[in-house]
Amino acid sequence: MTDTTKDSPDLEQLLADLKPDNADLLAVLHRIQEAYGHVPAQAIPLLAEKLHTTPAMIYGAITFYSEIRREPPARTTISWCSGPACRLKGSENIRRALEAVLGIGLEESTADKAVGLHLVQCDGTCALAPLIRLNGRPKGPLTVSEAIRLARELKEKGG
Amino acid sequence: MMTYRELRQQAEQTWQAVESPPRPRIAVGITTCSRAVGADETLEAIRQEVSRRGLEVDVAVTGCWGLCYAEPMVEIAKPNGSRILYQRVTAERVPQLVEDALASEKGVCHELALAALSPQPVDGVQPLASLDFMAVQEERRLMANCGVIEPENIDHYIARGGYEGLSKALNMPQEEVLWEISDAGAGLWGRGGAAFPTARKWEFLRDAKGEPKYMVGNADEGDPGSFVNRTLMESDPHCIIEGMIIGAYCTGASHGYIYLREEYPLCLERMELALRQARERGLLGQNILGSGLSYDMEIVRGAGSYVCGEETGLISSIEDARGMPKIRPPFPAQAGVFAKPTNVNNVETYANVPLILRHGAAWYASVGTDDNTGTKMFSLSGHIQRVGVLEVPFGTPVRRLVYDAAGGPPEGRSLKAIQPGGPLGGIIHANDVDLPLEPEPFREKGALLGSGGLVIFDDSACIVDMCLYFEWFAEDESCGRCTTCRAGTQRMVEILRRIANGGGRPSDLGLLRLLADAMRYANCAHGQAAPTAVMNSIEAFLDEFQEHIEHKRCPAKVCRGLIRYEITGESPDLPEAAAICPTAAIVQRDGEHTIDQGLCIKCDACRELAPTAVQVVDAFA
Repeated sequence: MTDTTKDSPDLEQLLADLKPDNADLLAVLHRIQEAYGHVPAQAIPLLAEKLHTTPAMIYGAITFYSEIRREPPARTTISWCSGPACRLKGSENIRRALEAVLGIGLEESTADKAVGLHLVQCDGTCALAPLIRLNGRPKGPLTVSEAIRLARELKEKGG
Repeated sequence: MMTYRELRQQAEQTWQAVESPPRPRIAVGITTCSRAVGADETLEAIRQEVSRRGLEVDVAVTGCWGLCYAEPMVEIAKPNGSRILYQRVTAERVPQLVEDALASEKGVCHELALAALSPQPVDGVQPLASLDFMAVQEERRLMANCGVIEPENIDHYIARGGYEGLSKALNMPQEEVLWEISDAGAGLWGRGGAAFPTARKWEFLRDAKGEPKYMVGNADEGDPGSFVNRTLMESDPHCIIEGMIIGAYCTGASHGYIYLREEYPLCLERMELALRQARERGLLGQNILGSGLSYDMEIVRGAGSYVCGEETGLISSIEDARGMPKIRPPFPAQAGVFAKPTNVNNVETYANVPLILRHGAAWYASVGTDDNTGTKMFSLSGHIQRVGVLEVPFGTPVRRLVYDAAGGPPEGRSLKAIQPGGPLGGIIHANDVDLPLEPEPFREKGALLGSGGLVIFDDSACIVDMCLYFEWFAEDESCGRCTTCRAGTQRMVEILRRIANGGGRPSDLGLLRLLADAMRYANCAHGQAAPTAVMNSIEAFLDEFQEHIEHKRCPAKVCRGLIRYEITGESPDLPEAAAICPTAAIVQRDGEHTIDQGLCIKCDACRELAPTAVQVVDAFA
């Protein structure tokens, strides 16, 4: 995924049908993120105006939800499942190894924006534990050495 | 507008083609679990193979039987009545499946056959009910359609009795519908974890003053290791919608929301489609089935927050704000969504309602126990041989699920503990594996039966490590509003982390108990229940805690601060192990490999590759 800000629809257009007290905020945040890859800062005052609230309240809401990004994602996102079935089967080993190979922690990206590490919650695909998702695609059961090889390969070819 | 009878007749014609297919029908179960192991590719491969061979067959998409371990699953039905379920049909196995099963009318692909969907064996393939995973489930009620129907076809749902409960309810006084559900009738209570009587909650909404009133379905199934709501929404979305419409009829609600977690994109797709289809059939909107009832609903997609599964947090989230729980009272029935009267139930609770209306309260209460009638769906994961989702009557012993259905822990391992009800639900000891699945016995053990996730631990698990995990989860997901929860979970994590790192102090257990006592005064259930697993474990696994604290030893050799990796032998695999090490901690000195303990991050990769040469030893032995 890359930052597609330039060829995305106008922000105002995405917010056109937004109304206060209509349970619209989450839907529009998803819509913006799908269009831009993240929710850019310039959306905050626009959202506040449309929803008759303050930018601080919108900023507060955006930062509350872990699946809403304020920065463009890396080219490849490794989502690490934090669930209990994965934990029981060694996901902590996988996390440590990925962090060591990539030189980043969870919710960080490599300096060249090639690879990012993201913590995700269990979605119940526990038959594959321990698993990671590569740009959303599940991979599992994964051994630590497989995870290391994968991270090295991604790092080398730039995501 | 069509009457229910007309809808049903039309639907039955569609369903007829599935029941007695005029030509072979191949159905691929597409769900989150099956997709994860390539079901989309399987479906595509089947379409290609069928067209390549020019076969006259229908290809369909069905839902999930709950047998996650056997995915991707494919059903092949033939005009001669044979109906066989195949397992682990990955794309590369499709040509073989099609060759064996469809080349002749009687063909069966024995290599991939899982079970026959008939009471009698077919060509040696045993019936589904004979599978260990299915044998514990005498009767599927909530899951009766799961795997059977096409979830994207409303006619399949209607033909199998769907919306009959609604049609019946609309012809009864509201009072009678409520009676059917109430303790005097079916005895339905909420499946989200709190086990509150559903009809009473609905009466609160009915009696509340203020308009509009809202029906809310909680599908924010955030408990890691729980995936029962997901199975239902992906495989039979209409049962939830029907239950919510009946709820609206009883309470005067005019609008509904289903709050659906971000992590379930396929549920979103199927629920959205189901809502559109229901609207087209006159089952949602103005004057539903000509009854004068007007009710419609929409889906709110969450964005990754566990505490939005708590009903007041969920309401905040619908209200365009941070999903922070609020102090009750006022309860949602008085002031819920946009400060209007609101009822929140788990989606599984709603799914029970149409069944009660259709079959009657007596039928519903004919299974389960005196206090807990009906059935409950459970998901099984962790250290077991068969991961999946099943449905059993209340009162079924945990043992039957863990051992009979799931096959118990892997060979050579023994059961250590079971975690019910999500990360806040606690941990029960393997000695309690005979507990009946109903809320009271779990409560007596200081645990929660919860919403249906059961995570099984074998003896390779470390209890301190799992407690650290559950507490970390509670800390990470705390909304931060009340200090009791925000700081309480942080302190608990700090203490558990130092125990796991070898810095545990004799006073730590007392400190953990003190914190747990204080956290009972947190604003919402999140903080109140956060210490559950730790408190259960200090009682049930006291020895293990003491071993960590007093002897600086982790018996399962999991806690990083208490273990060390050492090379204890030679192996031709050692160079490979050295090469895989992410920190280059394996060095050669005088021709011998050793591990530089200052560099080692204890990730286990070297031991994976050279198990005979690398050993995990106690750091403080």
